[in-house]
Amino acid sequence: MDLIEKIGKIFFYLISSIGKIIHFIFFFFKYAIKPKFYLKNNLKYFVDIFVSSIPIIALTGFFSGMVLALQSYTGFSRFSAESAIPNIVVLTLTRELGPVLTALMISARVGSSIAAEIATMRVTEQIDALKTLNTNFYNYLVTPRVLSLTLALPIFVTLVDFIGVMGGYIVSVFRLGFNENIYLINTINFLSFADYFSGIVKAIIFGFIIAIVSCYNGLYSDKGSFGVGTATTNAVVTSSILILIFNYILTELFF
Amino acid sequence: MNIEIKNLSKSFGEISVLKNISMNIKNNKSTIILGKSGCGKSVLLKIIYQMINSDEGEISYGGKKNIDIDIFGMLFQYGALFDSLTVAQNIAFIDHINGINNYQKKVLSSMNDVGLHSVNYDKFPSEISGGMKKRVALARAIYKNPKVIFLDEPTTGLDPINSDMINELILRIIKKKKMTAITITHDIQSALKTGDEFFFIDEGIVECYGNCNEMLKIKNYKLNEFLAGVKKLQKTK
Repeated sequence: MDLIEKIGKIFFYLISSIGKIIHFIFFFFKYAIKPKFYLKNNLKYFVDIFVSSIPIIALTGFFSGMVLALQSYTGFSRFSAESAIPNIVVLTLTRELGPVLTALMISARVGSSIAAEIATMRVTEQIDALKTLNTNFYNYLVTPRVLSLTLALPIFVTLVDFIGVMGGYIVSVFRLGFNENIYLINTINFLSFADYFSGIVKAIIFGFIIAIVSCYNGLYSDKGSFGVGTATTNAVVTSSILILIFNYILTELFF
Repeated sequence: MNIEIKNLSKSFGEISVLKNISMNIKNNKSTIILGKSGCGKSVLLKIIYQMINSDEGEISYGGKKNIDIDIFGMLFQYGALFDSLTVAQNIAFIDHINGINNYQKKVLSSMNDVGLHSVNYDKFPSEISGGMKKRVALARAIYKNPKVIFLDEPTTGLDPINSDMINELILRIIKKKKMTAITITHDIQSALKTGDEFFFIDEGIVECYGNCNEMLKIKNYKLNEFLAGVKKLQKTK
């Protein structure tokens, strides 16, 4: 009986959480479509995210590109297909590693900070204070974060793609002895717009997921410092899992 | 503005927080809502402020059922200042987020009303003391010149000197600006000093009410027990 009760409780918890998230997304769209648009606040948030994330994004792209070139060489050299390395590096980065790694890094870097900030605001009654000041928290807190991340992630992914290709180029030319011109020509000729576009669509969806999940966890956090910690962890874990699941779904769509 | 509350009830799940509450909050008077922690005071305050809805009952604000909350101001228990904004931006929050930038004069006037030196204008909440944070929060609450001000445990977290100072300030402001004040507290000294009338709530029910200057004379078992408990605690301290 205890087991059935526990399963029932988990089931109801899951159903109520899904309901809450749908309700949350519905209200986000409701206020985003008919907004009281705090332009200064939105711009400030976009710039903050952008500036603070560039170094970590650049490092991710650079080292991923370098490792990808080295690992591809290990595999391709076994059947004398080293010339495919530029193609594999650019294809893997634009279609797969660029969007996924960027999203995971941004989830850890920005998503956690969004969840912690909003959860702290909830604990210290700042969310209630917004209500008393006749300010809708969707307009003031959620919209800038969702819009900023949804718009910033495609830019980050473009940057990771470019820096990653450069990382692969440096390893291939200076470590593996590739001809620099042929490497670049192969990269440019092989890349199609559809490859880049599929990565950008993924980035937009991942950005939206990170922002919505982080804002939701912050707003529905438990009270106290423990609640802030749990909200932050939940935001990163949930968005990371959703990124991986949606990555598969989107890859199937663009296959 | 008179605020009339009739048969108000509120539950959270199976827990009934407010049970059939009725009270009349008089215009330009300072009304104190007294009670132990967890008795439903904060929930009542949030319902009156229209931050949450009641399950049953109704509230009439000067004869109207719905009112724009711009005529309300609120001082939170721990200030609830926005960490990322300066003192001035906190006080003029509404103007600041709506891109109205010429609020300096109005902010300085509000700061002056609560006894805050202009040197704090550009400081962040983390750079000022607890007492000053309360003053900033009070300045934010009165910035829009509200008709009704809500004070949630205004002396919580302050030492006796600062508590006394905040009580004096509240008293002076509500008299000067002719506001209706609703304070929730379990601080008897604060209630006696700043209140005209009081309502004592216990387990979600209005146990008794009356004038603050007669509070200590009223014979009600639960109120007397509450007052005795507070006195005992003060002696222990």
